[in-house]
Amino acid sequence: MSPSELISRGEYFSQWRGGGGQVCAVFPAQYPRELLWAHGVLPMEVWDPPLAPARAQGHLQPYICSVVRQGLELFLAGGLDDVGAILFPHTCDSLQNLASLVEDYLDPPAPSLFFYNPKAPFAAAAKGFYVAQLQTLERELTRVFGPQPPEGMARALEWSRRLSELYAQAYSRRAAGELGVGAAEFYRVLRGGEYMHPRDYIPLLEGWLASAPANGGGQGQGIILSGVLPSPPDLLETLDELGFRVVHDDLISMSRRLLYPPPGEGDPYEALAESFLSMPPCSTRGSSLSERLEWLKGLARAGGAQGVVFSVVKFCEPELFDLPELRRGLKEAGLPSLVLEVDVNQEVGGQAATRLEAFGEMLS
Amino acid sequence: MSYFAGIDVGSLSSDAAIIGQDGDLKGWSVTETGPHSTNAAEAALDAALDMAGLTRDDLAFVVATGYGRAAVPLAGKKITEISCHALGAYALFPDVGTVIDIGGQDSKVIRLGEGGKVADFVMNDKCAAGTGRFLEVMAAKLGVGLDDLGRLSLAAQGEVSISSVCTVFAESEVVSLVAKNHPIDQVIKGLHRSVVNRVAAMTGNIGITPRVIMSGGVAKNAGVVALMAERLGVDIAVPQEPQIVGALGAALMAVRAAL
Ligand code: SF4
Repeated sequence: MSPSELISRGEYFSQWRGGGGQVCAVFPAQYPRELLWAHGVLPMEVWDPPLAPARAQGHLQPYICSVVRQGLELFLAGGLDDVGAILFPHTCDSLQNLASLVEDYLDPPAPSLFFYNPKAPFAAAAKGFYVAQLQTLERELTRVFGPQPPEGMARALEWSRRLSELYAQAYSRRAAGELGVGAAEFYRVLRGGEYMHPRDYIPLLEGWLASAPANGGGQGQGIILSGVLPSPPDLLETLDELGFRVVHDDLISMSRRLLYPPPGEGDPYEALAESFLSMPPCSTRGSSLSERLEWLKGLARAGGAQGVVFSVVKFCEPELFDLPELRRGLKEAGLPSLVLEVDVNQEVGGQAATRLEAFGEMLS
Repeated sequence: MSYFAGIDVGSLSSDAAIIGQDGDLKGWSVTETGPHSTNAAEAALDAALDMAGLTRDDLAFVVATGYGRAAVPLAGKKITEISCHALGAYALFPDVGTVIDIGGQDSKVIRLGEGGKVADFVMNDKCAAGTGRFLEVMAAKLGVGLDDLGRLSLAAQGEVSISSVCTVFAESEVVSLVAKNHPIDQVIKGLHRSVVNRVAAMTGNIGITPRVIMSGGVAKNAGVVALMAERLGVDIAVPQEPQIVGALGAALMAVRAAL
């Protein structure tokens, strides 16, 4: 598959809806997509819809992040009018507030669903809590979309396992320098999973991995890309133009929730809970700084990265709170870092490009 | 003998430096950038060549730096102003540990490692606060020449505090302070303090290693330099021509590139 064959969110959504399929809009970040697949529902993740900010400004304080702002803009522009439900995972205070705003004041066109992830450090009760959350969500999904078809959950878990393998393959090939594609292509393809059903997405990902060249990516300095999501798009293009090799990432929307041990056999809820509890450390799950730091250092060591670029969404509290200590720890470990504060969908611009270029010169 | 040129195309000024293979400065220029970066770069280069008594044919290699570096077709290589400022400062002050550069559109603090290499750096975000542009706007509002700001600030008997760092808000704050008959020199000192606080806050991220030097157009303002030294608690050295540090670094990069 060539990445140009990947159809856009809008097109895919229309095709899916045109075929009579059900959709649940999902706000960031972690949620049990397997439950939605089991019900035959397409999760349509809302991370960074490309809309000019207009009406959302009137509902949010200026210090709210652009992920929430753009998500609300999509809602107010009627972009979620055709979905069967809207799922709000409890990721951070800003998203929690967005959920209240939508539910209490904005008369949503579809039922709101909520999902509360346990926060680290995970106590013995965390697994039971997660399973109870799954059961609650299952009841809600049944109420909104009807019961799961027979074998729904078994098939969803199979898709989940296969996707885990493919994600792991993509990341490990890239870290080993055996995936000759730039950051822009890598993330364009991997972000297909945010809106495509695994039935369509798995063959696409398989085809891409089979046809992607083994070498030919950036030849310059190796970096870890940390932060919220691989956006704005010109950030990735700039990294490619400057010849950076993104050897791994530590992004909330990417490896922090995609690279985890696939759900095993046995009770599906227990299996999903175990997977969730073994996800890589993340600020939004309350992971400790030391855990995050060791994780980042490990990623850098494994991929031979010389530095870390933090692409942090402005006003993202969970990320910004951790940042100073993480940077200090990385510096002590001989890993310089660069921070770019970005608004999703707003070009990073010339000054950020200069900073990246200077960072590359400094690492060389 | 081969000669090498560095051209630093900034938002307000375009500067050039010509050096020999031994690094000796032969000519330099500081010119206005205006609306066209390519023309500005060429004008700066020609002015520096004039001073050196040379022509473009005498140049073995040219490196461009600064925000307009991409628009300099005659440069064989483009290198960021961060690396060029570091190398230029190191050539002028071999014991330099930190460079504070306040230019027209951005300000940056660079910590140097061995041999003039960048060890760490920080740049201001997309905002005029803490840049030469901030002072330029305020000087115009106060009807004072840019070159007079430093002298007036140093002579001030007191200081009026400016609460806004934002250029737009500070502008209206200045208007109301002047309307309330606050002495202009004390307002200017307050404005300088605002720039210094903003840039000094940036140093917190990377630390300050003496010896500290200041470069860029704002380094010509003795009032800002004095307040910066006081705020950071260090002596600050200013090169004779602080606006050509980046161009000099670029010229030194040109020697390296040609070797
Ligand atoms: S970017 Fe940060 S603050 Fe915004 S929704 Fe994501 S986690 Fe929350």
